[in-house]
Amino acid sequence: MNDNNDILRVDGLKKTFLKDKAAVDGVSFAFSRGEFVGLLGPNGAGKTTTIKMLTGLIRPSSGAIYYFGSDFQKESQKTKALIGVVPQQNNLDRDLTAYENLYLHAILYGIPKAARKARIDELLDFSGLTDYRNRQVKSFSGGTMRRLVILRALLHEPKILFLDEPTVGLDPQIRRVIWDFIVKINRMKNTTILLTTHYIEEAERLCKRVLIINDGLIIVDGDPETLKDGIGRFVLEVHKDDGIEEEFFDNRSDALAALEKSTYPCKVRGVTLEDVFLRLTGRRINV
Amino acid sequence: MFNGLHAVLYRELSIYRTRALKQMLSSSLSPLLFLIAFGWGFGRDVTVGGLSYISFLIPGLITMNSLNQSFAISAEINISRFYFHTFDEYLIAPVSYASIAIGEAMFGVFRGLLAAIIIFVYAFIFHVTLSFNPIFFVAILLHTFIFSFLAVTTSMVVKDHSGQALVNNFAITPMIFLCGTFYPIDKLPYAFKLLVYVFPLTYSTKVIRASLTGGEVSFIYVGLMVFYCIMFFLTSLWALRSVEA
Repeated sequence: MNDNNDILRVDGLKKTFLKDKAAVDGVSFAFSRGEFVGLLGPNGAGKTTTIKMLTGLIRPSSGAIYYFGSDFQKESQKTKALIGVVPQQNNLDRDLTAYENLYLHAILYGIPKAARKARIDELLDFSGLTDYRNRQVKSFSGGTMRRLVILRALLHEPKILFLDEPTVGLDPQIRRVIWDFIVKINRMKNTTILLTTHYIEEAERLCKRVLIINDGLIIVDGDPETLKDGIGRFVLEVHKDDGIEEEFFDNRSDALAALEKSTYPCKVRGVTLEDVFLRLTGRRINV
Repeated sequence: MFNGLHAVLYRELSIYRTRALKQMLSSSLSPLLFLIAFGWGFGRDVTVGGLSYISFLIPGLITMNSLNQSFAISAEINISRFYFHTFDEYLIAPVSYASIAIGEAMFGVFRGLLAAIIIFVYAFIFHVTLSFNPIFFVAILLHTFIFSFLAVTTSMVVKDHSGQALVNNFAITPMIFLCGTFYPIDKLPYAFKLLVYVFPLTYSTKVIRASLTGGEVSFIYVGLMVFYCIMFFLTSLWALRSVEA
């Protein structure tokens, strides 16, 4: 048996699509209750494939997944009730209303008939979507659809919530609304959250712990502040003719001293998780 | 246990409600054209096996139209799998694959039965007298379940929309034209007869026609329909189990 304090434990998870190199090449980690974890990495690193394996949409080539100590492959139907999923795409039924979409989810997750309506209305209120209750989803903006998808994933009160790129394609204002909403879920409901993103700012703001994934492998696991401390708190960007070079310093005065000496245009700034990624892989996340 | 089935039916019927009129209209046109072309245009003085051609044709159109409508759920499952990804909601939910397959198939049966009713209305309008053997009700249910489970299977197996079109063109269309819906199959050359006896539509058509025209119903054929129904239920389960989103 596994340690039951872990809400989720993953051992050597691997997925190889036909004749391809591994999309996820043996990852292992464990989450405990209430953790807010970010899975950060560039496009194609294996974030979505990992989430799809954890939620039962694709089968791992090898490795094991345990929820509360029980094997997900063997007990998947029962275990799925503990999981909430916000997929990358807003997969709502566009011809149905917000209420009907949520009602469908309530049936799927076995919420008793007597409780369905109250539960849906309570959550619509929690997320400020009450005005949209009886409108067809196809008339919604991207941000409203996104909130509805997140809301739907919460309807059956999952113990762990997976959010795959929750704010991709949204404008900065709506992005903040979504962030606040996700933080509220984590705080008020103590739901464990795994969020994938390729936005550095999103991971830094929200996540207490970050897994950085690159080429199907987890290269770092830790809290953002410690990770940043590990490479030095300040960066000197040297804008050379053929690109930008970064130098790392433990304090601002050292960075400024180096700036004085440089003959190129320079800039001093605080380190970000992107610098951590860059240091470890030699390439940027958003390319 | 029934959550999946209930959810699938809730979704499909909620959506169907918004499109019912359009779908009824589109499933009533092509059989009408067949009736005009073959019933009036070509078959006015023709008799087949002691029946006027139009009496022979009506049960064929019932199988054709209900098959088309039952099988049409595959295209819609495809859209929800490939474009809107709403099908993923079923796959991540704590419900059994069997309940999803049966739920989708029941919706296919519902659409198939509506399509059959349209032909009965035409039969009334065209003054075609039908006799009802109670076996008809069993047969039409088996027939629509067979093609609904086949639809669930193919919609899970194909990799994209054009794969689905391939199945329609190479399996469904030949079946409709070869399996005795428009003419008795004993007129076909030997090689085609062999092929035709592999297709489930042949047995549906024979049983449904016999049950509506006072013919003798072969229970071997009814048994074969049960066999096809169970087989396609199992293939739909297998296909759902192996599908990856």
